[in-house]
Amino acid sequence: MFAVETLSLSKKYGKTDALRELNFTVDEGEIMVILGPNGSGKTTLLMTLCTILKPTSGTAKVMGIDVVKDGTKVREVMGIAFQEARGFWRHKPSSILKFHASMFDIDPVKRQDLIEQTMKELELWESRDKLFMHLSGGQAKRLETAKVLVQRPKLAIFDEPTSQVDLRGKRKIWDKIRELRDQGSTIIVATNEVREAEYLADRVTILHKGTLVVRDSIPKLKDAIAGGDVVEVGFEDPVADKLVEDLKNLGGILTMSPEGNQLRANVSKAEDWVPRMTSASYNMGAKISTIKITEPSLDDVFLHFTGKSLEENP
Amino acid sequence: MNRVLTLASFNISMILAERMGLVLSWALFALQFGIFGSLMSHLVQSTKVQDYFFFYGVGLMVITVFDTGSFVGRRFVERAHEGELPYYLSLPISRRGFLESQAVYGVVATILRAGPPLIGVLAFTGRFTLPGAFFALLSLTTLGLGISGIMISFSFIAFKSIDIYNAIIAGLSALLVRFSTVFYPLIFIPSFYSPVAVFSPLTYGADLTRWVLGFDPHLLLNPILAAVVVTAIALGTLSLSAGIVDKIIEGVKAA
Ligand SMILES: Nc1ncnc2c1ncn2[C@@H]1O[C@H](COP(=O)(O)OP(=O)(O)O)[C@@H](O)[C@H]1O
Ligand SMILES: [Mg+2]
Repeated sequence: MFAVETLSLSKKYGKTDALRELNFTVDEGEIMVILGPNGSGKTTLLMTLCTILKPTSGTAKVMGIDVVKDGTKVREVMGIAFQEARGFWRHKPSSILKFHASMFDIDPVKRQDLIEQTMKELELWESRDKLFMHLSGGQAKRLETAKVLVQRPKLAIFDEPTSQVDLRGKRKIWDKIRELRDQGSTIIVATNEVREAEYLADRVTILHKGTLVVRDSIPKLKDAIAGGDVVEVGFEDPVADKLVEDLKNLGGILTMSPEGNQLRANVSKAEDWVPRMTSASYNMGAKISTIKITEPSLDDVFLHFTGKSLEENP
Repeated sequence: MNRVLTLASFNISMILAERMGLVLSWALFALQFGIFGSLMSHLVQSTKVQDYFFFYGVGLMVITVFDTGSFVGRRFVERAHEGELPYYLSLPISRRGFLESQAVYGVVATILRAGPPLIGVLAFTGRFTLPGAFFALLSLTTLGLGISGIMISFSFIAFKSIDIYNAIIAGLSALLVRFSTVFYPLIFIPSFYSPVAVFSPLTYGADLTRWVLGFDPHLLLNPILAAVVVTAIALGTLSLSAGIVDKIIEGVKAA
């Protein structure tokens, strides 16, 4: 059985197609990262899985239970940390977690310890008695994550869990999510950050405009675009548009940094492309300071499959 | 504890956290009752209403219930927009159970706000009996549920704009209160005005509560009619709300 399975799942908001005939599965016990730019339909998919939104057509099952026909049962086995942590207003973090745990019948004897431990690990313990509305964005986000960590559901969903969280906080959250998987939960993480996906994913699903582009483990995704090399070129000064034009004629997909002095090129063979690039630059009088040939990142994978980079979307 | 009650008490804890607000609202009630009530009852003394002071006191209670009911309803709509509602809808409780928890919340909110004033007015006017207080509270909370239900039912407007919703609700509230028997018996209301008063749920809630408390029935609507209308509004709008909950969520832009 799949932990999650959707069949031709579509969701429209008026005229907007947020999900288009999506066939998507998650295996039990894995961390599935859904990677896609803003507006690609990640949140809509997750809100449908947790029965808050209703599909326009198609079906979705969580642990074999239909989300439309048996919503309450689905909600018993899953937990979601929302993208936006909002609305608790005058409640305190500790009472929010206590309430959440009691709704999911977490053993009252262990509950208090579990909450305390989780709050400490996510650095929320000092703020336990502040009102929710006085928490920072990052704290509110960590509280969202803490709810699901305390709950330990069979299916745990995290919608952009580390947006607004600083790097140290991100690592903490990522480690806790992995720990949850090791304890047996199936996990879905939605993100638009490559680094988050690289750190967490057992497998990645790339979502673009409401459709599934590709789904696989990270090494396999990178192999899929092999034959492709990534070359990063640093110039001493911003380069002329004319040179960029010339380089484009050499083939490959080029992305220029906003400052105009860092070039990232996805090319089929670095050993052919680099000499031609250096001579073209030399002819135009552009001085090269660095050349680096790297392995493709998930960004490149995304670029390869959609023709767009993650940042330049939608 | 049952999940419906766990959720209800989580919401109720919020009212209790604002104890000052509660106490202030009671104090305001006492002040209004004391000053305006005695002033007005002197003015209206010459008419056939024997105990206008008491009549006014019940009217004031109905206003309190109206305020509470519309607060509960508006909070509900705001919750949808603030993202609190999606959270509640992700909890392991049926949609029906969720609405029940919100009804329990509404009832408790009404009792907290209107209960002490009710007992105060009854004690002050020497009319306190336990059954009287109980049935009056029952009538008032049913009215409160209906008011919340009306506010939620109108929330379809909030899909478009929460500002328009707030404006319409404010206008509607003014109409419902002005054109009702909250402060004047229906039989004294001028003929151009009385047909309108018949459309205000407050008319039925106020007259029912007065009847329960032993007020002269000649000055009131038929109590059976009033009871039926108040109950029907509560049940009708609450089941309508059930359908609307899902719609509101769809209307709120996913982040
Ligand atoms: N309630 C809504 N009404 C209309 N359009 C919506 C609503 N919620 C989301 N959308 C649109 O649906 C698409 C997918 O949004 P979303 O699921 O939030 O994507 P993501 O989470 O990947 O950023 C976007 O085009 C977004 O603007
Ligand atoms: Mg999103």
